[in-house]
Amino acid sequence: MMTRADWIAVLLAIALLPGLYVRYWGDSSQAEAVRIAANGQQDITIPLSGNRRFTVHGPLGESVIEIRDGRVRFISSPCRGQQCVHSGWLAHAGDLAACLPNGIMVTVTGRDRRFDSINF
Amino acid sequence: MFGTLVDLTLWGANEDQAQQATAAAIHTLNALHHRWHAWEPGPLTDINTRLTRGETVTLEPDQVEVIRGAQELSRQSAYLFNPAIGRLIALWGFHSDDRPSNVPPPAPEVIRQLAARHPTLDDLHFDGNKLSSANPALEMDFGAYVKSYGVDRAIEELRRHGVSNAIVNAGGDLRAIGRRGDRPWRIGIRDPRGAGILASVEIQGDESVFTSGDYERFFEYQGKRYHHIIDPRSGYPPSGAMSATVIYPGSGVGGGASTALMVAGPHGWLDVVRGMHLQQAMLVAADRKIYLTPALAKRLHFEVDPPPTVIIGQP
Repeated sequence: MMTRADWIAVLLAIALLPGLYVRYWGDSSQAEAVRIAANGQQDITIPLSGNRRFTVHGPLGESVIEIRDGRVRFISSPCRGQQCVHSGWLAHAGDLAACLPNGIMVTVTGRDRRFDSINF
Repeated sequence: MFGTLVDLTLWGANEDQAQQATAAAIHTLNALHHRWHAWEPGPLTDINTRLTRGETVTLEPDQVEVIRGAQELSRQSAYLFNPAIGRLIALWGFHSDDRPSNVPPPAPEVIRQLAARHPTLDDLHFDGNKLSSANPALEMDFGAYVKSYGVDRAIEELRRHGVSNAIVNAGGDLRAIGRRGDRPWRIGIRDPRGAGILASVEIQGDESVFTSGDYERFFEYQGKRYHHIIDPRSGYPPSGAMSATVIYPGSGVGGGASTALMVAGPHGWLDVVRGMHLQQAMLVAADRKIYLTPALAKRLHFEVDPPPTVIIGQP
């Protein structure tokens, strides 16, 4: 026969199961932060929450980056090619956009920082 | 080149050691950036100018080493990696960090004439450390090859400072040594289309990962993409592949091999693999089919859903 304590243990185990599922099988690519690397400056990491715009200074001038609704993008950059702006919104861990002429790279990082370095 | 976006990752080094090692490695990369820059006025543009005039140039030992190394790699690639075509690359407007998009490609006749003079590094003649050129159309531009050289020198610098676990990533191309604590380094290889990761690979020990792609530097004109890797035979950017990746132990072939694979495309890539003695190579063809050597297929993990069509090529 199961005692009251046994029932509590079983119920607790069932109640905690979703938590374990999320913890160990959840989408580890879920984006959490943005890492911004600018040539010759210390990297900065910003949470991918809230809505804001900010300016990063590079050798060509100012690049404007926007965070909105859990995504990030280059709004403008002083380069002529505009590849960074055309990259559009980045939303998943590992996503990357760079303005090489202005020496600025934006990488989305996930909960467990899936990659130590990105080759491109 | 690699002056932009050098990214160092160190593990298990104390703060002082890490700071000194990082500073030394970045200093090395910056110095090499200037020394081998193909269009900003400096030692290489100076050598090119004098060779074009028919003069003999006296080189420093490191310059002899780099040029001779590139000569050998170029031959192994059957001249698909050809660092003698700097004038073609300049003609296309890629001797600029930031080529505008609304300027048309060069005139076909001009491209044809320049490609027909087919300069190669074999046109160079060494007399000890004295260098001369038999082809006035030759202009050296080492492209991604000097990135491999630079990354290798930076790793040497880190090791000299006692660092044994690190990644040196110079503008996307990298070499990783040691491991990240209790697990290997995890490297993501970027998808040539979109902003995501195509595949990943774990590294422990000492390996380099080099990729060339049509997305790194390009312009679009009237809806067509022209990228910065030029086929020395035609004078045009090749259209068979979107990206090419090589992985190899230790130092070495790097940018030269990935460039040659891009030029070769899906029809000729195995010839490059054989000629350059590559074990692990990947080509993402224009139709997005992925060509892999068996050794890389074994360890590469695709990060895209659905997984791509893979074709294994037997070297």
